[in-house]
Amino acid sequence: MPSTQSPPLLGGAIDPTAVRPAINDATIERIDPARLHARLIELKNEGFTMLLDIGGVDYPQRKPRFDVVYHLLKMPIRKASLKEVGTPQRYRLLCGVPEERTILPTATDLWRSADWAEREIYDLFGLTFEGHPDMRRIQMPNDWEGYPLRKDYPLRGPAREKSPRPAFALKSNVNAGTPPSGRTLEALQAQIAKVLEQK
Amino acid sequence: MSFTALTPEVVSKDGTAMVLSMGPQHPSTHGVLQIMLEIEGENIVKSELEIGYLHTGIEKNCENQFWSTAQTNVERMDYLAPSSNALCYALAVEQLLGITADIPERAQQIRVLNSELTRIASHCVWLGTGGIDLGALSVFFYTFDLRENILDIQEAAGGARMHPNYIRVGGVNGDLPDGYLDRLDALIEKFPGRMCDLRTLLQANPILQDRMVDVGIISPEEAVQWNLTGPALRASGVAYDVRRAYPYTGYENFEFDVPVREEGDSYARFLVRLDEMDESFRIVKQVRDKLKNTRGPVMIDNAKIAAPPKETIALSMEALIHHFKIMTEGFRVPPGDVYQAVEGPRGELGFYIVSDGGNRPYRIRTRPPSMYNLQALRGIAPGNLIADLVVMIGSLDPVFGEVDR
Repeated sequence: MPSTQSPPLLGGAIDPTAVRPAINDATIERIDPARLHARLIELKNEGFTMLLDIGGVDYPQRKPRFDVVYHLLKMPIRKASLKEVGTPQRYRLLCGVPEERTILPTATDLWRSADWAEREIYDLFGLTFEGHPDMRRIQMPNDWEGYPLRKDYPLRGPAREKSPRPAFALKSNVNAGTPPSGRTLEALQAQIAKVLEQK
Repeated sequence: MSFTALTPEVVSKDGTAMVLSMGPQHPSTHGVLQIMLEIEGENIVKSELEIGYLHTGIEKNCENQFWSTAQTNVERMDYLAPSSNALCYALAVEQLLGITADIPERAQQIRVLNSELTRIASHCVWLGTGGIDLGALSVFFYTFDLRENILDIQEAAGGARMHPNYIRVGGVNGDLPDGYLDRLDALIEKFPGRMCDLRTLLQANPILQDRMVDVGIISPEEAVQWNLTGPALRASGVAYDVRRAYPYTGYENFEFDVPVREEGDSYARFLVRLDEMDESFRIVKQVRDKLKNTRGPVMIDNAKIAAPPKETIALSMEALIHHFKIMTEGFRVPPGDVYQAVEGPRGELGFYIVSDGGNRPYRIRTRPPSMYNLQALRGIAPGNLIADLVVMIGSLDPVFGEVDR
C-alpha cells in the first residue's frame, strides 16, 4: 500500500495517447465506432489475420470517454517457417466510445477469438458489442452491479464504501474492552440471551 | 445458481441432450474452470466454458499502486512463470521512460537467465500435472524435483521461491550472490540426465501416444483464427516466437532454435514443449558462460528511477533524499501508451500500459496467452471423447491466475 499520508500524485494528462512519446511498437490509427467494423474487414483482407487482443481504457475527463484498443498482427494463415513469419507487422486501432452511446460493432464474426475479450470489456467497462452471440459477464458474477475497471468505481467496491475501516487504530476509535469486531460484550450477552429466550 | 448463467437449459436449447458440468473443482481442469458439456454418450457435442472463479482484480489493483509496487501484483498473474510477467512489465515501463538503451548488459543477461529458468520451471509443472491427467503419476515427482532445484536458484537470487520480484524497472534487484554460479552449474550438470529420464518415460511411451496422437487437432488456420500463441501455435506449424520476431532484452545475442511441429495435435504440443525445455537449457548455458566474464552494474544509474544502493545512504545526502522520494512517492513516467510483448511459457504475453504522467500506472491491460489458448477449447472439443478433453486442457496448459486475473 502506498503511504496514506502522501497525496496521490497523478499526472493529469487527460488524453495520454495524444501526447505519446516516440515509441515504435505498432502502426496506430484512431477510428470511430461507426467505421470500425468496415476498417477491421479491410485490415483483415490486407493480411492482419490475427486479432491479438482487445482492451479497454477509461478516460473520465476526455470526450469520448472510453477507448477500445484493438491489437492486430500480420500472421500467415498457413504453415510458416521462422523466416516466413519474420517480424510481423503490428497494427493498433484505437476506437473512442462516447459515454452517451456505449455500443460498438462486434468483431466475433471476423475472429472467433474476439468472443471472450469483448465479454470482458462488457463486464469490466460496461460497453456493449452489437451482434455478439453471448453478451454476458465473464469475470464478475452475473448479478454484480457496476463496472469495476471504470475509474469512478471505488477500489474496494461499492458495498464496502458505506462502512469505511478506520485508517489507523487510534486510541480514540478503539474503546478499551471492545472486541475488534466492534461489538461490545453487553451487546453480545444480550444477543445470546435473546437466542436462548426464543428457544 | 446466481453466479453462472450456464444452466443445462442454456447449453442444450431443446432440453433433450444430456448436459454434464465438469468443474470448477475437477482436478483435471488445472485450477478453477467450469465446463458445461453437451454430450451424446461419450461424445462431446458442444462445450461452453465458464471462467472468472479466480478473478482477483489485479488490473484494477495495479492502478492504485506505484509503478514499482504494481510489479508485485503483476507477478501474481501467471504464478508459474513470475519472471516472464515481471520482465514484460519492466520492459514496457522502460519503453515509456525511454531508458531501454540504458539497461546494463549484465542486468539484461540476468533477465534472460531468469526468464528461461522460469520457462523450464513452468514446463515442469505442465509436464508433471499433464502426466497425472494421463495416469503417469511418477513423472510428477521427477519434474517437481527439477522445478524445486530451479526455485532454489531463484530464491538465491531474488529471495523468494515463487515470486522473486527480482526483475525490476531499470535492471534487476541486486547482483547475483556469491556461489550462485556454482549452484547454476549443479543444475546444468543435472538437467540433461533428468530430461533424458523424462523422454524415456514419456516420449516413446505407447500408452501416452495412444492418448495424445490425433487428439485435439488444430490446423494453422484455426490456430490463427483462435489467436493461439506460443507452443500451441508452433505445434500447428506457424513458427511465431516473440523472442525471434521482436527480440528484446538481448535475445538476439543467444543461439537457440524454435521447435516447430506440423501435426497440430496434443502430442505435437507435448513434443514442442519438451524441445523448448532443451532450447531454454541451451540459452541458460550460454548465459552462464557470459555471466562468468561480465562484471558491472545490474541496475540503471539513474536515481530518479532506481533507488540508490542502501550503503550510500549514510554517506551521501543526495542518496538519502532520492531514497526517500522513491520510497514515499515512487517515480513518475511520462504520459503515453505502449504495447510490449514477451514470449512467456504459454505464448505471447503482452502488456498495454497507459501512463498519464503520474506515479501510478493509469491502466495496465494484459494480453493473457492462457486465456486465448483456453478459449480455443470451445472450438476443438466438440467431436471428441470426454476423456480426451482432459488431454486437450493439459496440452493447452492454462494458468488460471492469468486467465481470470
